[in-house]
Amino acid sequence: MKGYLGEFEELVLLTIANLADEAYGMALLRDINERANRNLSLGAMHSTLTRLEEKGFITSYLGEPTNERGGRRKRYFELTANAIAALNEMKSLRDELWSNAKINLSL
Amino acid sequence: MKEMPNQQPPKLASRLFDWWGGRALTEDLKGDLEEGFYENLEAKGSFKAKWIYTYQVLTLCFSYALKRRKDSAAYSPYYATNSLAMFNNYFKIAMRNFMKQKLFTSINLLGLALGMSICLLAISITYSILESDNFHEKKERVFQINAYLKDADQSRIYGSVFPAVGDYMEEKYPFIETALNIHSGFRPVVNHHGNLLDFHGYYVDPEFFQVFSFKLIEGDPRTALAKPNTIILTKSVAEKLFRDADPMGKVLETETGSFTVTGVMPDLKETHLYFQVLTSQQTYKLQLADHNPVNDWKQYRNHYLYLLLKPETQNASLQDALAQTSVKAEEFNPETSIELQSVRLDKAVPRWDISNAIGIGWDYPSLLFFFFIGLLILLPAIFNYTNLSIARAMKRAKEIGIRKVVGAQKAQIKAQFIVETVIMTILALVGSMFVFVIVQNELLDMIISAEVLNTSIRPSLVVVFIIFGLIIGVLSGLFPAVYFSRLSPIHSLKGDMKPGSFSVSGIKKGLFVFQFALSLFFIIGVATIVRQYHHVFNRQHGFDSENVLTIAFNGQNKEVALQELARHPDVKAVTTTSHLPGINMQSASWAIPNGKDTLQASEIFIGDDFVKNMNMELVWGFSPPKNQSTHNEELVMVNEEFLRAASVFDRAEDTLTFVMEDGRHARISGVLKDLHYEPLSREIRPMIFRKSTAKSQFVLLSLQSNDIQKTIGELEEIWTEVDQKVPFEASFLDDEIERAYKFLTVQIKIFSFLGALAIVISCLGLLGMVSYTTENRTKEIAIRKIMGASVSSIYLLLTRDFIRLIGYSALLAIPLAYVFYDKMFLYFLIRYGLGLGFWEVLASVFFLFLLGFFFIFWQTSKVAQSNPATNLRYE
Repeated sequence: MKGYLGEFEELVLLTIANLADEAYGMALLRDINERANRNLSLGAMHSTLTRLEEKGFITSYLGEPTNERGGRRKRYFELTANAIAALNEMKSLRDELWSNAKINLSL
Repeated sequence: MKEMPNQQPPKLASRLFDWWGGRALTEDLKGDLEEGFYENLEAKGSFKAKWIYTYQVLTLCFSYALKRRKDSAAYSPYYATNSLAMFNNYFKIAMRNFMKQKLFTSINLLGLALGMSICLLAISITYSILESDNFHEKKERVFQINAYLKDADQSRIYGSVFPAVGDYMEEKYPFIETALNIHSGFRPVVNHHGNLLDFHGYYVDPEFFQVFSFKLIEGDPRTALAKPNTIILTKSVAEKLFRDADPMGKVLETETGSFTVTGVMPDLKETHLYFQVLTSQQTYKLQLADHNPVNDWKQYRNHYLYLLLKPETQNASLQDALAQTSVKAEEFNPETSIELQSVRLDKAVPRWDISNAIGIGWDYPSLLFFFFIGLLILLPAIFNYTNLSIARAMKRAKEIGIRKVVGAQKAQIKAQFIVETVIMTILALVGSMFVFVIVQNELLDMIISAEVLNTSIRPSLVVVFIIFGLIIGVLSGLFPAVYFSRLSPIHSLKGDMKPGSFSVSGIKKGLFVFQFALSLFFIIGVATIVRQYHHVFNRQHGFDSENVLTIAFNGQNKEVALQELARHPDVKAVTTTSHLPGINMQSASWAIPNGKDTLQASEIFIGDDFVKNMNMELVWGFSPPKNQSTHNEELVMVNEEFLRAASVFDRAEDTLTFVMEDGRHARISGVLKDLHYEPLSREIRPMIFRKSTAKSQFVLLSLQSNDIQKTIGELEEIWTEVDQKVPFEASFLDDEIERAYKFLTVQIKIFSFLGALAIVISCLGLLGMVSYTTENRTKEIAIRKIMGASVSSIYLLLTRDFIRLIGYSALLAIPLAYVFYDKMFLYFLIRYGLGLGFWEVLASVFFLFLLGFFFIFWQTSKVAQSNPATNLRYE
């Protein structure tokens, strides 16, 4: 199942790409909830991140302690090459489907 | 960065998160939670922020993310749980500690070994009982039938059923292969060389050996019990009666007829049935004659039923059959509601409360009681271990501190100490098994019918023992383990653990008092029973028993034998009796004092000079002289109790005459002061003493000799000269009486043994506690001495606490002992005993104090007398 990406997982990966150096748990949650107008819980967020990490799409590292958050370190996430390949594959599949569509999809 | 708000995330939720997260790495998660909280605090207000925070905590707790992190934390090499290598290390450290602290180790080993021995006995007995009747090949198809009876007066389960049930069911239900009827109460009394031996056994159907898998050493199991008046003996009975001779085909003459021996079987082992002899059911029918048990649906006592079912019979069909038979039985007993129940053969014992059950009453309550006694002895040993382990915490604190700094978790410290304790208990278990092997025969002798138990040490039993040892190890190690795992590494490494926590604390005081109270309770028990024992032999029963030789008559010419015996120079006096005084009597007779009412009384036939020779006291009248009785009236003596009992009746005329059992008229010529003709545990009953050498069974010779063995040898020669066929069976009356009081010796043994165990264990505990407290106070004592304290004041200081505690235990034990021994125990044991004596109690307390003093003195003298200068440099 390594290659398979779920819709939400794709969303998370793309958000990580968007946030770049500031991609940590709470920031990701905030971003997705605002952008996609969802109401995700922190638990669901971290579960997805853990699964993505297990599948090898992202890696994580702990940042340096700062004055924020009572001195607790943040865990930052980064995309791996696998993730970029998977995202590209997903996108080309979509583009192909979009361009071949027999019905007018534009609003 | 936001300004620091004074609002904090809800504590309950954060604590829940910390607790649930445990060792998992959750720093970033907590950071995320807190960030979200402060964000919401500004945007949505305090209440909502807290609510959301709690919600997020819950989602995280249930999330895959946290589960994953917890899992990886558990397996990370840094936090490895106890691996084999660590257990090896624990084992090594434990062994080193045992070697290093020899006093501690030996106290605990000895204490636990002794403490466990009684429990091992209880376990082996229980195990053997649980294994009972497992050897029967058809055990899965054999069912014992019990009857639950309920009427207006009672509702209980009987082990016995109506005699008619067996044949009725066998006839009606084809799935029953055999119905085996057993009737208890076969008690043949065999006259064996003049001694009356009584045996007990069952009347059984001929199929006995087909249903049960008992083997026969000799005889044919199919035909042995087919005919009336046949008898099967167990091996020990056969040996008793026939020694080496072959018993097969021999005829036993008994009071209930003569029986032909048709088989010999091994002694019973591991079965709930309990018999010495078996006879055929036909014998029973013969004895009843007019009464046919096949039709008896009324009388349910002493009749037992076992059903052997055909292979592969459903249990349901048996239950249906029993239910139908119950209805049938109710037709005959309309007042009673009856429910027949079945118990599979191998589940017959141990049982709960079943009335009139067959065989030995192995029931759960008595087993529980046995375990209770065992634990009562074992608990003090466990307390010792706990006390001493914690008392020596100072020595181990540094080790634990370092372990913790290096990264040991609480659970690991706990595991270490539990492993240590388990090693200790397993070592003690080995010792305990030695104690068990040594004492088991002695102890089993005291338990009725214990000879059918198999308590030999065998592999399966050893496994049970080891499981028991493990449980005890974990239990006794638990408290020290928790204590040690809580030690703070900082305090223990700096060595500033408060010595106050090592002094005798409240719980320890309580345990200590409990131990000593228990010891004192047993010591008082021993002292009290020993007192009864002396009472029995010294205060006398009301007659002389010293230097009186008894010889059993056996069909020779009694007058001639007496004359010959009296000629021997060492024989001071000769008399005879039908019943030896001081021994249980089975003489039940009666008298008619007023022509119509009967009075229960024992008849004893005595020879000439009986009263004089035995030094019995007459309160009135005289012992009837020779040949004074007329044909109409016999002169007899009675005891005071007889007069008291007779005075109840309405006696118009001559109060000195009455009619005896054999119809003769008696005239009272003398009244004997009440004496204990039977053991002191028996009530004094009305007695009639009749003159008759012919009906006497024993010669009583008062001897006075310098060489008693030689005299007896010469008497034997005289005896055999009179009649060569008769064996010379002589014994001293004192010994005979002592044998009658075997139950007392047994009690003394039990209490001495338990008492010794309790005392040894308590004293070991005392020794340990004293040695560790004095050791911990070495410096204090040195300073006191330098400041001018005298040696005696140091002694006082060190002993005061312990002496006070022993005092408390005495205060606790004495009232308990009084209530238990004086009011309950002795009353049942010896009715005419002395009760609890003041001096015995005092002596017991004194003994305990002496022991305590000795141990305290031994340990404190080391410290009190040592040079304070060296002690100050101590540590």
